[in-house]
Amino acid sequence: MAVSEKNYYTIDPEGKLICMKCQVPLVKGKAKFMYLDNGFPVELPVCPVCGFVYVPEELALGKVLAVEKALEDK
Amino acid sequence: MDFEERSTHVYRQKQMMSREELVARESLCVYEQPAYCVAACPLKLDTKALIRAIASADFNQARQLYEKITMFPHILSAGCDAPCQEKCKLGEVGDGVAVRQLEYAAVNYGEKSKAKGMFRFKKKQTVCILGSDLFTLFLVGELAQKNYPLTVFCSESSAEKFFLSCIRSQLEGGDSRKTFLLEDLKALKNLDIRFECGMEFTAPEAEKLRDRYDVTCISLTLAGELFGEVSHDEQLMMCFEKNMVMGGEQFSVRRAAFAAKKAALTVDRLAQKLSPDNSRGEEGSCETKLFTNLEDAKELRRVPVGEEGYSREEAVCEAGRCIQCHCDECIKGCAYLQHYKKFPRVLTREIYNNVSIIMGDHMMNKPINACSLCGQCTVTCPNGYDMAQICHAARENMVFTGKMPLAPHEFALHDMLFSNNEAFLCKKQPGFETCRYVFFPGCQAAAVSPETVKAAYLDLCSRLKGGVALMLGCCGAICDWAGRYEMYDDTKKFIEEKLKELGNPQIIAACPMCKKELSTHVEADIMGMWDILLEIGLPGKHIKYDSSYALHDSCGARGDAHTQEAIRKLLNQSGCKVIDTEYSGNRSPCCGYGGLTSYANREVAKKMTEKCLERSQLPYISYCMACRDRFAREGRESVHVLELIYGIVPGSPPDISEKRYNRLKLKNHLLELLWGEEIKPVELGFQLEYTKDALEMMDDRMILKSDVEAVMKSCHETGEALLDMETGLLVSRARLGNVTFWVKYTRTDNGYLVHRAYSHRMNVEKRMG
Repeated sequence: MAVSEKNYYTIDPEGKLICMKCQVPLVKGKAKFMYLDNGFPVELPVCPVCGFVYVPEELALGKVLAVEKALEDK
Repeated sequence: MDFEERSTHVYRQKQMMSREELVARESLCVYEQPAYCVAACPLKLDTKALIRAIASADFNQARQLYEKITMFPHILSAGCDAPCQEKCKLGEVGDGVAVRQLEYAAVNYGEKSKAKGMFRFKKKQTVCILGSDLFTLFLVGELAQKNYPLTVFCSESSAEKFFLSCIRSQLEGGDSRKTFLLEDLKALKNLDIRFECGMEFTAPEAEKLRDRYDVTCISLTLAGELFGEVSHDEQLMMCFEKNMVMGGEQFSVRRAAFAAKKAALTVDRLAQKLSPDNSRGEEGSCETKLFTNLEDAKELRRVPVGEEGYSREEAVCEAGRCIQCHCDECIKGCAYLQHYKKFPRVLTREIYNNVSIIMGDHMMNKPINACSLCGQCTVTCPNGYDMAQICHAARENMVFTGKMPLAPHEFALHDMLFSNNEAFLCKKQPGFETCRYVFFPGCQAAAVSPETVKAAYLDLCSRLKGGVALMLGCCGAICDWAGRYEMYDDTKKFIEEKLKELGNPQIIAACPMCKKELSTHVEADIMGMWDILLEIGLPGKHIKYDSSYALHDSCGARGDAHTQEAIRKLLNQSGCKVIDTEYSGNRSPCCGYGGLTSYANREVAKKMTEKCLERSQLPYISYCMACRDRFAREGRESVHVLELIYGIVPGSPPDISEKRYNRLKLKNHLLELLWGEEIKPVELGFQLEYTKDALEMMDDRMILKSDVEAVMKSCHETGEALLDMETGLLVSRARLGNVTFWVKYTRTDNGYLVHRAYSHRMNVEKRMG
């Protein structure tokens, strides 16, 4: 699916998150949420080595949940 | 088995029901039917609203409502014979409301409406009215209101004399009545109409006027004088022979006012050069199908009327007796309908439209999935409206068309699969080649109170002859409620096969919902555990109780008088005093578990539980383990009939993980105890502990311990984790099926301590470029 270059949400880890496997700080990186065949480009904390993408609790229970509910009723 | 998520880009359509069936179903709901008094009024007065306004001492509002039906409220209120009064529903149990006196009071004490209304242009078609009687007077009012350029031809010398001549039959009754009636003369003088007074009518003159005006109206008396005997249509108030609108009423104010309304409509049609007998809408009084419960009627005696009618206070008092006839029988007992503030007809139409649309927001998905499908409305509704069937049909339709989101039901469906896989057990009683019975306690009994299931099974094995097999699993109600018809068919086949393996023994169900569900698709005989206990007697060591309990009937036993009665007999034998409430028996509401409401809409489910508990302050006793669990979760002392009979002390309500653990533990324990099979527990390879906050959070967020274990196992093996420097917590995640679970934890000597857990359904991945 083509994903536009627009970012719906951005979080900068500001060096406060460390990937334990790679022993490097997470950086602001490109990611995308996918749900019910819809894609949303975002910028989230990502491990520059292994690609682990972090979804913070506030985001999961806030905006992500709201978008999930909206899409479920489409 | 994992469930496939739907796509918002797949478009499939299937009609939920035909339009004819929809209309037939909707017509069963009488919520919008007019009250009896309103239906009886040929002038379409909103009598119910008028009485309501007076009851709140708002005489001005009451008068405004009255002025909507006539320009001459004094004449009408003083002379109307009020057929509505005879139809008052209160008349069936006491005195009907004195509507006539209340209408008089509304006009007498209320102020004339000062609102000017919208500015409207005069119509182009001209109308003239000939003659002076009550009919022509009311017709003047009707046509002036419709903004026709109107000319009144009368033999009297002035408008005032015309007015007095029109109401001549009403003037008997003293000066005060005359003064009252003369108030309407002011209204007549304020009308923008032209009077041609002192006319000496002749037939050719009248016919000339008819040719000069677009529409000519004439009183029947005058027409008789001018043309001799002429025929006129009483429905249309029309004399086709003379091409004139015609009517006449000297004595009955109500008939004159109604005739004027019909005539005014005919004038409208004629002015537009349309046939007067088409498209007239509903005229006059009508029938109503409304149902009104008279149990709440308290003040049955009418406030006596003095010679001068009611005083303000008396009128307010009399109006206060009105029960404002309406039908909300289904809403009164149903937390679901109360939550959505909609009555079944509207809800049905909105649900129908919701499943019919292909793209866009499906605003009714939540209400469709929030109904407990308990069928209470079929009993409380005087016409048996079945909201459950409509919601269930909508769910199946949504599953078929791919519009059913997985989120509301996925947890429950996995729970059911757990019951019929890992926690499933189907065994013959040890030492028996064939079994006469099979005990089917139901998934919730094993989840909430495994000790009770064990005690009941051991009791049955010891006292029933012919062998008792055991089947621990789900009857299929869960997937049926979710509308997953394919899964339901699979479950039915699965249960049938297992029963066949046992030689199709007689089923002893301990859950009324299982009994109901299995009886729809299983050939074998099904009886309730309560029937067996009545037959073989209570177990020897049962405790004799002398407490009072409010009995909550299971919605699975609705319409099953035999089960309801058997439970009461059983409780009576055990010494319990059972208290029935208004909503006992077939009228019982759902506890909030039914229809998967507790998974799909926790807010509505909570209201359902509260609704059940508001009926009594006593401890509750039920015969469905889901009800017993939900009441206990709301903090009410709650016990299951079998817990009471087998002397099992009801424990605190288990959380969602414990409910699974209990099922598995029961299965393994019985396998070991009765069949000598040793089940080795699966070792994680590390110790996993939880903080109290984490456990509460997981229960609230529907995260199982097994989900957290899977995340921790994955991170233990792969080493994938983050360290949050701010909190000092490690964070790991795993995608299980359609959900990503996140766990925040710290390391301990032997494993991990879980602090927080959360989840989301969206999949997240790294984006290239």
